[in-house]
Amino acid sequence: MAREIYAYKCRLCDTMHYPFRMVCKGCKQNDFFEFDTVPLPKSGTLLTFTRVYNLPAQYDVATLGLGIVELENGMRMLGQLEIDEPEIGMAVKGSVDVVRKEAYDDYYGMVFTAA
Amino acid sequence: MRDVYVAGIGITTFTRLEYPLSEIAAYASMMALKDAGVTEVDQLYVANMGAPRVNHQTALASAVADTLSLLPAGAAAIENGPASGAAAIKAGFQAVASGLDDVVLVAGVERMREVNNLEATDFIATLTHPLTEYIYGVTLPAHAAMFTRLYMEKYGVTERHLAMVGVKNQNAALNNEWAHLQQEISMEGILDSPEAMTNNPYVAEPLRFFDACPVSDGGAAIILVSKEKAEELGRPLIRLSGIGQATDTHAVFEREEPTDLLAVRKAAEDAFAMAGLTPEDVDVAELHDAFTILEIVESEEVGFFPKGEGHLALEKGETALGGKIPINVGGGLKGRGHPVGATGVAQAWEIVTQLRGDGGKRQVEGARIGLTLNFGGFGNNVVCLTFVRED
Repeated sequence: MAREIYAYKCRLCDTMHYPFRMVCKGCKQNDFFEFDTVPLPKSGTLLTFTRVYNLPAQYDVATLGLGIVELENGMRMLGQLEIDEPEIGMAVKGSVDVVRKEAYDDYYGMVFTAA
Repeated sequence: MRDVYVAGIGITTFTRLEYPLSEIAAYASMMALKDAGVTEVDQLYVANMGAPRVNHQTALASAVADTLSLLPAGAAAIENGPASGAAAIKAGFQAVASGLDDVVLVAGVERMREVNNLEATDFIATLTHPLTEYIYGVTLPAHAAMFTRLYMEKYGVTERHLAMVGVKNQNAALNNEWAHLQQEISMEGILDSPEAMTNNPYVAEPLRFFDACPVSDGGAAIILVSKEKAEELGRPLIRLSGIGQATDTHAVFEREEPTDLLAVRKAAEDAFAMAGLTPEDVDVAELHDAFTILEIVESEEVGFFPKGEGHLALEKGETALGGKIPINVGGGLKGRGHPVGATGVAQAWEIVTQLRGDGGKRQVEGARIGLTLNFGGFGNNVVCLTFVRED
């Protein structure tokens, strides 16, 4: 089964959240965990990007592509880019993969390629 | 609410310092205590971000209180990311304004060079959103770079504008003996010559090495007192007249308009409202130029220039010494250095120096009203302060 990253929809007012919040930013009325999880779309357009050269110690790569993507439902997320020459506004598609490795843990996140 | 005055200031050289963290804070504090002419305080606040993680030390304020023989004064450390310094000043203001305390020492300190650059970068990156930013390898230069690209696209800011901020501030630091960077740079050296790409490589495209502040150790301190105490001490009467603080979304991508820094705007509006001032009244400003783009954007968001025109004012020299609103005449974070917990206090130190007329070669003539902007996170926790010379 394909891995997903989830947004959180308030059960009272339908406001979508990513990242997760304890209290809904729309109605501020929800009780504990009154959210439904909704998978984030994996297609979108590139809003902005960078290529980083001085990485935190855990990364054993020379450079890392990062970008903010406007997803097709209007929400945004940050992800790693595997795109040689990114451009603002280009169509991208994402898949969930390992984005950070530490001694005993792998962290999964969205990795975008050109659509 | 009582009025609150700055009676003393102190600072250490910003550089790599081979002293224990608490002694760096204590050194700056001693200078401030001597400057004010006091040997006892009711309370001290110590601003710091990294002691537990970088220096393996907790409960820093207790250590500083004892080192300075200030016992049994109250003491507490304040951790608020890169805006720890101004947040501690706000706490000191509240203590004096409320009538709870008459004399408060506020010290800011950081010793980041105890670890290597990779660890220092990771330490700062821990302020990003853990699950939606940090795990991807986002660093503060990466945030600033993505923001810069949007600003370039929307408002026509270029790498040349960024380099102009870097040259202005790093060369201004030559007039500040406490500043970290004491090396003159030129547009030719960092942008226009064939060697520029080697001298000034990318850190996070489109940001280059000289667009970022250095990693520094250092401390700064100020003494806040009531009006009666200020008059008794007889130092120049400089009132902390306005305070604004605002927060914004933790995850930067979630902001509705990604080129706005709403917490900067709100913090400045609140500080001006409290002080009864407008941006036009300000004679000298310290903005948080951890990255060159930030000086341009903050100069707009605090209200010195219309949105999207900060880089045009920079081109005309309006933000340089002698310009309409001189910004970061002591080097800013870019030239003075950025020991994160110390920065907000160091900004106040510079403004008080200016309002006392003690700026030497970097003095803004006749400065009576000053502003500091301390930018935490990537704009998710911002404190703006205004200072007024009253005598």
